[in-house]
This record gives sequence, C-alpha cells and structure tokens, in this order.
Amino acid sequence: MATINGNTDAAQLIVAPTKHPLPPPKTVDSKSVLKRLQSELMSLMMSGESGISAFPEEDNIFLWKGTIKGSNDTVFENTDYKLSLSFPTDYPFKPPKVKFETTCFHPNVDLSGNICLDILQDKWSSAYDVRTILLSIQSLLGEPNISSPLNPQAAQLWSNQEDYRKMVVKLYNSPSATA
Amino acid sequence: MDDSHSSLFNLGILDTLTQDELHEILDSYNAFCNATQSLLGGAGDLSYGAQFVSHVHTLCKHGLESLVRDHFLRVLEETFERNGASRFWRHFVPYADFVDLNKNDDINIDEDEIESVLYNALEEISLEKQYQEKCLLILVHALQSFKDQMSEEKHDFEAERNYLTSKYQWIVSSVLMATLPRVFPVILHWYFKRRLEELSTIMDGEFTDDVSQNKDGMDLDEKGKICNEDGEMDVDECYSNRRFSENSRLVKNIGKVVLDLRSLGFTSMAEDAYASAIFLLLKAKVYNVAGDDFRSSILQSIQSWIQAVPLQFLHALLVYLGDSVSYESTSSGLKSPLAPQPSSFCPGIDTPSESLVRWKLRLEYFAYETLQDLRIAKLFEIIVDYPDSSPAIEDLKLCLEYTGQHSKLVESFISALRYRLLTAGASTNDILHQYVSTIKALRTIDPAGVFLEAVGEPIRDYLRGRRDTIKCIVTMLTDGTGGSSSASGNPGDSLLEELNRDEEIQENFGIDDDFNTDDRQAWINATRWQPDPVEADPLKGSRNQRKVDILGMIVGIIGSKDQLVHEYRTMLAEKLLNKSDYDIDSEIRTLELLKIHFGESSLQKCEIMLNDLIGSKRVNTNIKATISQPSQSSVEVEDNAISMDKIAATIISSNFWPPIQDEPLNLPEHVDQLLSDYAKRFSEIKTPRKLQWKKSLGTVKLELQFEDRVVEFTVAPVLASIIMKFQDQTSWTSKNLAAAIGIPVDVLNKRINFWISKGIISESPGGDSPDHVYTIMENMGETSKNGGGNGIPQDLLGGDEEEDGSVASVENQLLKEMTVYEKFILGMLTNFGNMALDRIHNTLKMFCVADPPYDKSLQQLQSFLSGLVSEEKLELRDGVYFLKK
Repeated sequence: MATINGNTDAAQLIVAPTKHPLPPPKTVDSKSVLKRLQSELMSLMMSGESGISAFPEEDNIFLWKGTIKGSNDTVFENTDYKLSLSFPTDYPFKPPKVKFETTCFHPNVDLSGNICLDILQDKWSSAYDVRTILLSIQSLLGEPNISSPLNPQAAQLWSNQEDYRKMVVKLYNSPSATA
Repeated sequence: MDDSHSSLFNLGILDTLTQDELHEILDSYNAFCNATQSLLGGAGDLSYGAQFVSHVHTLCKHGLESLVRDHFLRVLEETFERNGASRFWRHFVPYADFVDLNKNDDINIDEDEIESVLYNALEEISLEKQYQEKCLLILVHALQSFKDQMSEEKHDFEAERNYLTSKYQWIVSSVLMATLPRVFPVILHWYFKRRLEELSTIMDGEFTDDVSQNKDGMDLDEKGKICNEDGEMDVDECYSNRRFSENSRLVKNIGKVVLDLRSLGFTSMAEDAYASAIFLLLKAKVYNVAGDDFRSSILQSIQSWIQAVPLQFLHALLVYLGDSVSYESTSSGLKSPLAPQPSSFCPGIDTPSESLVRWKLRLEYFAYETLQDLRIAKLFEIIVDYPDSSPAIEDLKLCLEYTGQHSKLVESFISALRYRLLTAGASTNDILHQYVSTIKALRTIDPAGVFLEAVGEPIRDYLRGRRDTIKCIVTMLTDGTGGSSSASGNPGDSLLEELNRDEEIQENFGIDDDFNTDDRQAWINATRWQPDPVEADPLKGSRNQRKVDILGMIVGIIGSKDQLVHEYRTMLAEKLLNKSDYDIDSEIRTLELLKIHFGESSLQKCEIMLNDLIGSKRVNTNIKATISQPSQSSVEVEDNAISMDKIAATIISSNFWPPIQDEPLNLPEHVDQLLSDYAKRFSEIKTPRKLQWKKSLGTVKLELQFEDRVVEFTVAPVLASIIMKFQDQTSWTSKNLAAAIGIPVDVLNKRINFWISKGIISESPGGDSPDHVYTIMENMGETSKNGGGNGIPQDLLGGDEEEDGSVASVENQLLKEMTVYEKFILGMLTNFGNMALDRIHNTLKMFCVADPPYDKSLQQLQSFLSGLVSEEKLELRDGVYFLKK
C-alpha cells in the first residue's frame, strides 16, 4: 500500500478587503456600467436563448438593438420584432428605455412602439437584465394586460384570436412594418 | 595655310597659262602621283625620294602646293587603310567570337597566342606607321627646300611638320576607329587583366612577405623598392632585385603596349582597358579578403594592398610613359580621408604626381564602394552574429562615411528583412533578437538613428501583428538568461542587460546636466555637434528626441507601456505563485530597473505583489511561531498528520493581482484541516482579516513509498489529491474519483495521465464504457508482469489515448474560443440583419471582451466566417454576411 509522506503545501490566499467600504451605489462610474453591460452581453450571447436576442450598436454600448420572436401557439407566431434598448448612465439602478422598432399590434404597445410593462417602470430592479427584459416582453406578447391598454383597438380585438392573427399578419407584412 | 587664296589666284591666272606651262604641270602632276604611289606603296624603298622631291618642286612652282599636300595625305590614308589597318585587324579575325564572351570569362584558347598576336600586330603596324611617317618627312623636306629656294625669309619648318604630323595622326586614328572590330577592346581588356594578375601575384607575394616579415618596416621596404625601380639597386637585396627585374620587365611590356596603342590613337581605349582590369583585380581582391568573415576588419589590409599593388604598378607605368609630372600642391588638395598623412601616401616618392593621386582616390573609392556593397548585401547575416561581427560593422561605417550611400543600405536591408525575417516561419523571439541586434548595429553606423528609424519601421509593423510579441518582450525584459526562449539563450541579447545599461546612461546624463553650466563643457558639446543627415525626416523630431534607446523602441512596438506593464504583471504573478520559497531578489531588481524606465506609478501594482511576498514570508514565520501554543479554537490534529511548518503560504492582496483562475478542488481531509487551522491562526494574528485559500494553486512535494521503491515528486495540488486518494483505496472508477476530488471527470482523465505516464497508476476500461478504472501499481515488478502478458498492446493503446486526449484538449480550447465568437456573430447578425467583414471584426473587437478577448486578425475571422458559411449557418452576398434563414 502506498503511503504519502512529507506534504508541503503552498497555496494562495486572498485577504478579503474589509477596510474599504463599497462606494455609494448612486455614484457608479461609467466604467462599472460598461462592465455590467459587457457581462450582460456575454451571458446573453452564451445563454443560447432562442427567440430573443440583442446586441449593442457598433460604437455605443448604451444603445442596443433587440430581436424577439413571437412565441409559438400565439397570434404572434412566425413574426420577428425589432426593439431598441437605450441604457441610462446609471444603469442598472434605472431601467433601460425599450421601444418596438417594428410596428406591433398589441394592447400594451402604442403606435410609436412604447411599451407598457411594469418592470420597465416602477417595478424595475437592478436584478433584472437584458435577458429577463426580453423574455418578459416576449411573454407579454402572448399574455397582454387588457385592463390598461395603450392600444384600445388591439385590446378590443384580442378576444377574437383569429381576426387578431389576421391583423398581426397584415400589419407585419405591410411595407411600413419596419420603422 | 593659304589654301583659299591660292585657289582663287589659280582661277584668276588659269587663262594666262601657256600651253607649255600646262603640259609641264600635267606631266609633273602625273609623275608626282606615280612617285607618291610608289613611294608609299614601295615597302621601305625610299629610292623614289629624289624624283619625288623634284616633282613637288615643279608643282609648287606653279602654286599647287596645297594640291600636293592634299593628294599626298589622301594617298597616305588609302595606303594606311590598305596596308596598315586592314592588315592589323586581320590579326584579330580569328578571335572575333570573343565579343560575345563575358569580359569576366576566361578565354579558353591559347592565351600566349593572343598575346603574341597582339604584340606582332602592334609591331607590324608600328613599323608601317614609322615608314609612312618617314615618307611624310620627305614631303615636308621637299616643301621646305622649295620654300627655301623661293624666298630668302625663314619658313617655320616646325609648324609645317607639326601640321602634317598631327594631320597624319588624325588620319591614322580615324581610319582605325572607323574599322575597329568589336573584339579589339575585349582583347585589350583581357590582355591587361592577365598582365595585371601576373603582376599582382608577384607583388602580392612581396606584399605579404613584407607584412609578415616586418609590419612596421613596410614603409622602409617600399622605399627600397621604389629606389630599385629608379635604378639605384641595393646590392644586398638580390632576392628583391630579381623580383623587381621581373616586375619592371612586365611593366615595360605593358608600357610598350600602352605606348603603341597611344600612338595609334587608342589612348582612351587603352586607359579604359587597364583601368577596368585594375578595378576587376581590386574587386576580386576585396571579395577575396572580405568574403563571409565578419569577425575582422579588412579595410586596413585592402588599403595597404591598394598601395602595394595597383598603385605601385600605376606609378611604374606612369613613369615609363613619362606622364609623371609632379605637382607640389596636389597632395594637400586631394587628400583621401583614409590617408590623412601624405607621408604614408606613396613611400619613396616625395611628391606624388597628380594623376597618381587621382588614381589613388579612384581606387579607394572603388574599394569602399565594393566593400560597402558586399557588406550591405550580407548585412542581414552580419547583424545575425552581431556582437561578433562588429568589425564588419565598423568597416561598413567607414565605407558609408566615404561613399554616403546610406539609402542603399536602408533599401537593401529592408528588403532582406522582409524576405528573410518577417515571415511566418520566424519565431517572435528570433525577430525580437534580430531587432535588438539591428538597433545596436545601426547605432554604431549611424548614431543619430535616422536610418534605424527607416529600417525599424517594417519590423515594428510586423511585430505588432503577432500575438505573442508582448509576451516575448516581457520575457526578454525579465529573464536574464532568455528563460523560456529556448531558441537563443544568448544572455548578451537580454533586454535586462539593456535595462542595466540604460540605467548607467541615465546616471551619466545626470552628471552631464550638472556640468552643462560649465563653459568648457558647453564648448565641447558645441564642437561635437553635427547636422542631421540629409535623409532625416524633419517631422520626426530633432537629434535630441531621436536618442537611440532600445527599450523605447521595443516599447514602441507594443504601442503603450501600459500594455507592457500589464503583461509584465501577469507574468510576474505566474512566477511568484510558482515560487515555493520567498526568494524574490531578482524580481525586485528587475522591478526597480523597470521603475526607472516606466515610472513608479505604473508599476505600483507589481510592487504591491512583491510586497505581498515579503509580507507572506513574515506572516508565515509568525504563524509558525504560534504552533507551540495551540490555537484557541483549533481542532486537535491526529498524531500522524502533517505538521504545520510544512506549509508555506503565499498571501496575496487579490485586488492588485491579475485575476487568478481558481478551480474547485477537494483536498485530502487532513490537509484541508491543516489549511483551515492555518487560516484560523492567521485571523488571530491579523484580525479582522481572513484567509481564503486558493486550493488549486501552488505546489506539493510528495514522497511516494511503494513496496519496492520510494519516489519523490513536486506536483500541482490536483495531482497530489488524486494520488492521495489511492492511499485509502487501491482502485477507483473515474466517476467516483472525480466526485471525491471535486473536479469534472474529463479534467480528471486529463490530469491522471501524469501518473499513468509515470507508471504509478494503470488505467483499464470499466464496465460502463465511459467509466475507466484506475489502479495503483504497487511495485515495478507488477507493472512489468502485466506488461509481459497483454501489456504491450495496452501500453500502445494507453499512449495513443494520451495523445488523443492532449490533442483534443487543444482543439477543445480553440473550439471553445470559436463558439463564443460564433454566438456573438450570430447575435449581431440577428439584430443588424447584414454586416460586412470589417464591421463584424470591429464589433467583436469592441464587445467580445470575455476571457480570452477577441484577438483574431481580419484574415482569421474571414476564414472562420467562411467556415460558418459552409456549415450553412451564414450566407455571404455582395461582401456582406447574412443569417441563413
């Protein structure tokens, strides 16, 4: 039987820096915002989530373009919607501004693409990220909040899914669909 | 002469001539023509002379003097063309084929034959010419005597003769030139070349004899030689006399040929021929002496050779030809830079003739130029062996100072660099070493650094495109012995040394500054000032800013010192983490040197890292001192456990260290306990700080005791943990073992190969195909016993698997990198629709900052994208990429 003797170990330790208190959260420098957005991009890219995607514009990491696929078994099946996400400099303490770039016939989306979604307004938390925002919007497509519509016509039509589907397809294929 | 006047007069008096007179004129003219014909044609027979003279007199009486002269010269020309020139050229007809031969080729026929043909031809034509000159003199005398009869006044006999002779000379050379066959210059060239070679062999022997016998006394010897030539033979030196008689015989031969040629009007052609022969000889000499040996300076010996051989020859030749007219002031006006003291110029000749000085300058310039071209062509090799080849560099420097053809050097060297160094095959280390040598070598040639800038540019550009450049530079900077760069471990090349040197220079500069106020120093500085070379680019700053600084130029490759410092930090971290003692003296020294160069602030983090090491040493000692008094909360360790003084911890302030990869790892329980005990003691000493172990880092010294042997290893903690598991259990399945150690199975399979390769653990396929069984090999006998049975194929299999494993891991790494890029590319194309290659590249550079960051070139990206296109994930239309729908 082998026995092992004379074990000298030189491992590395970390001294947890306890003396430096964290800087107050409101005065985050743009560097940490950059870092956060970069890591969000990385995790979004690596998550391999199908149906949602977003990417910063070439020269500005604060402006992203997003893409959402309408979920299957909803009236938005087989459609792609373009979004624009604009991050504030104090992100993630403030939510990004998200708008539909493609015309979206939806009870909670107005004609200029503004979205009524609680987590993008008062229910925002810094724990959300681009991925969760996009997933929320994707699920909002299939499950609108009829009670507080931005687009009353859509809210009315929602009960008739067949007609609604026709409307979605018609608007989606119209030349003005992509703003 | 009064040609025009007499013809006018003739026209005027034509009518007044009587019939008799006309008859007389016609008769005597016919007779004169016949006499001329027979005089010139009658080889050597001057018996027609008297008759000829009387006819001339008759014609002159009628005022037809010019007619006589013109006719005579015309016949003379015809005769010379027929008898002289055509016969002369006929000698060379057999050799007409040589025209096509290269001048440098050896003529492969009987050389003596050509030589004798040349001699004969020259002799014959000279005789012919002499005879014709005699005939010409007869005419001159005839004209003269007529004039003497006619008038009392004295006629200038000389003028008449000179006029006719020069006319004749002109006729001769123009006839010869007009009929010159192309082969003649070749033959002349060949002749002089051969003669000179002969001469140089004789003189060379003498020269080397002189040099070897008595280097200092060379001047004296040469003085002796010249004396001999002048006829004052030194009786004692009969050996040298014999050689000299041989010498002067040769020179006389050559001189005669040159004289003959001159008399035929070939002055410039002859000069061309022997000049080119001398230059060829000189060139051959330079090539011969210079060769591929860069370790010795050769300018001096070439210069002595020029004085000993070609100049001696030329001197002798010029003396023989009688051209050697002395001008007293020439030597001061046309001083060669390499012969500043005229006394050594041409020993034995007090005032060298002007033409000799000109020759000397021509020869030296030619020698410099030849040597310079030779060296420039080989500059790449010279720089490769730089420190050894510095004599060649010095030679080149002198040559360039004289010829001023620096731009030639730059052009040729850059093209050599592109062709030989800046290729994919050259390792970055080699390129960097060559770059450093180039800087050092060119610094010698051109202290202002103007040409260095031009030459360095392509190297820098190329190195910027290489990924490992920074790493290599940092290795060179920090590693005195070349370290990982196995290619060239020449410590002389190390940049560390350069750092040291730089420090000294900076110290010196400090001193300089102090003394700058001194007027004398200022004066010295002022006298040393030199203007920038004309090639200097005025945009690139003046001399002061262009101070050649190797480190600066190296850092210039990287672009910013921050990048270099960053890389240095990473390397330093790796080095420090792998240290098991706390000996960091050399690192401290390197850091101090770097601080001088890059400034303290940029290296602050590195300093903290080193301080961590020093702190660790202290803390470690303190903690070990507490061992005797058990820690308040410490768990009682078992008796056979490892004592704590075997542990040496490196305590780092992680904020200042580069990110450290930490893999989870379960250490054996008692080691783990020991570590946590250590951590507790640490927090007792250093409250409120706490230790967090990075268990996968560091090294473990192990001693494995088997039944029949004891083996020692120094390994990574993972490997130690693996082998220690076999203490409890002799065989493990890979799944269980991986779980016990807390690492993924594939990592385990990779790592355990180390022990398998050492013959300590054997691997056999388990029940489930992916699950292997590892068993410890208790003794070597067992190993070989197993091997005797069915071991051989198993061994082979094991080897194969190992290879497969390592290859796969490399591929996996690449694949992993590429998957990240693929996801990013797909992501951006989803959102932007279509993108051109450039934009994808830039976007990746901008946003793909993960570990490892995107660092591919445009070409690599393109090939990767075309891979995706062939996988039908992307589409390429009109130079833009789309997602395949």
